[in-house]
Amino acid sequence: MLLELRDIHVHYNKVAALKGVSIQVPSDGIVTMIGANGAGKSTTLRAISGLTPVTSGEIWFDGERIDTLPADKVVARGIAHVPEGRRIFPDLTVEENLRTGAFLRTQRAEVEGDLEDVFGRFPRLKERRRQWAKTMSGGEQQMVAIGRALMSKPRLLLLDEPSMGLAPVIIQEIVRIIEAIVKQGVPVVLVEQNAELALNVASYAYVLETGTVSLAGAADDLHENEHVKRAYLGV
Amino acid sequence: MTELILQTVVNAVYAASYMSLIAVGLVLIFGVMGVINFAHGELYMAGAYTVVALYSQVGVPFFVTVVAGLIFVGLLGLLMEQSFFKPLRDNPLGGLIASIGFLLILQTSAVLGFGVRMAHIRPPTQAKFELIEGVVLTHQRLFVIIAAIVLLSLLHLFLRKTKFGWAMRACAQDREAAALQGISLSQISRIAMFIGAGLAGVAGALTAPLVSPTPYMGHSVIVTAFIIIIVGGIGQLEGAVVAAVLYAFVHTFVTTFYDGVVADITGLLLMLLVLVIKPTGLFGTKERA
Ligand SMILES: Nc1ncnc2c1ncn2[C@@H]1O[C@H](COP(=O)(O)OP(=O)(O)OP(=O)(O)O)[C@@H](O)[C@H]1O
Ligand SMILES: [Mg+2]
Repeated sequence: MLLELRDIHVHYNKVAALKGVSIQVPSDGIVTMIGANGAGKSTTLRAISGLTPVTSGEIWFDGERIDTLPADKVVARGIAHVPEGRRIFPDLTVEENLRTGAFLRTQRAEVEGDLEDVFGRFPRLKERRRQWAKTMSGGEQQMVAIGRALMSKPRLLLLDEPSMGLAPVIIQEIVRIIEAIVKQGVPVVLVEQNAELALNVASYAYVLETGTVSLAGAADDLHENEHVKRAYLGV
Repeated sequence: MTELILQTVVNAVYAASYMSLIAVGLVLIFGVMGVINFAHGELYMAGAYTVVALYSQVGVPFFVTVVAGLIFVGLLGLLMEQSFFKPLRDNPLGGLIASIGFLLILQTSAVLGFGVRMAHIRPPTQAKFELIEGVVLTHQRLFVIIAAIVLLSLLHLFLRKTKFGWAMRACAQDREAAALQGISLSQISRIAMFIGAGLAGVAGALTAPLVSPTPYMGHSVIVTAFIIIIVGGIGQLEGAVVAAVLYAFVHTFVTTFYDGVVADITGLLLMLLVLVIKPTGLFGTKERA
């Protein structure tokens, strides 16, 4: 397994948000986490990337324990996190946003190559590279956020609700981009409220309910599961 | 009358120059670290006393002492960051209070080292340009204007063209998102603190021969700097420069044609006016998170 969470507990001011979450992410494909508002999906991603400290449990990435590392050290290990709400830098240009993603990289030529690669994936960003990021549309901002994450040359990509607030066509575009990234060998952990979408693209899925994993299994199986259908697919 | 107005313009440009250096440093520190550096006026004072110590007392060439002032005060900034801003990172009020403590330490050190009386410094040059009949610009003031233009341009280039410049702006806009890019807030804070303090140090060093330093000279400067950053929009670097120019013109003109007390009151009224019309300041966009 590329990434493994073992019995992770997280507290916000003594209130438990995660109560023993264990998750495994293989080195290819998409693993998804679905669940209702407040189930702890974002908290799980924040624990992985070091934004939120864990109270107990272990996180292993590629054979090394990373649960005590601060966020800026976790990126260095190869985990890129596209946070909930995108969190692009509003008063940086599109290009500057993308380049901050490569902050830790020292091979200039490679970085320039990857910037062209990101512009190839998102031609709209190339046209708008000198525009302030805050003036971009929601879909374009999501592209900036994903592009910025790719600029760190990650070995694992964490995506927190990339479909949030976007029109269906744009969501389809983002999904195609995610699938292309996975095809090129970067595994993805996808957090989604849109369970239909998530279960369609993922190979494995976890269902989070009030800070614990209530169900786990192949995405196709969960798609047919009665509880999942009732609670998350609205069937 | 024309000469008087032109002379006042020249004086205002000079005042705007050193005030922008001070205000921009304060804004930079606030933007990146989210903390109000109350000791900023005393960093300015420390720059002035670098000149008193090295230039007046030892006889080191003036421009060498200005560079020394930049480095020395920049290092004081680093010391502040390491000793209290960093340990109090999650406690902005604590950082502010610690900086007040540091202000008192700097003031007391200046009193112990140099006495409470004004230090008179022989200007390195008495030369002046007569721009037109009756309108003069002393070389000493010109140095301040040139230094402000050069240093602020360099800062602008640094922020817009270098990786650490982008990182610094990124930290000012969203620290968590910056950390997710591998940007270390501690490292960026050290750089911001060195630059912000160093700019105040340069302003103090260059103006020292013009103002006769006292250990308490930081007070009036910090009040002015706060007015400027509120007018410009908190956290806005360009706003600080524009507001410094605006404030300097208003203040200098009112001082010349009425008097200094009226000018101080006008400065406060200017701030209130801006707060009423545009509460986020001239350049502010939204409330900071
Ligand atoms: N910064 C915080 N301080 C205090 N409590 C928090 C904080 N962030 C999250 N929580 C709490 O932790 C729990 C899990 O929140 P989390 O954001 O991980 O849920 P989520 O599954 O991502 O929800 P959503 O689908 O709404 O994004 C919630 O009860 C939430 O109120
Ligand atoms: Mg969430």
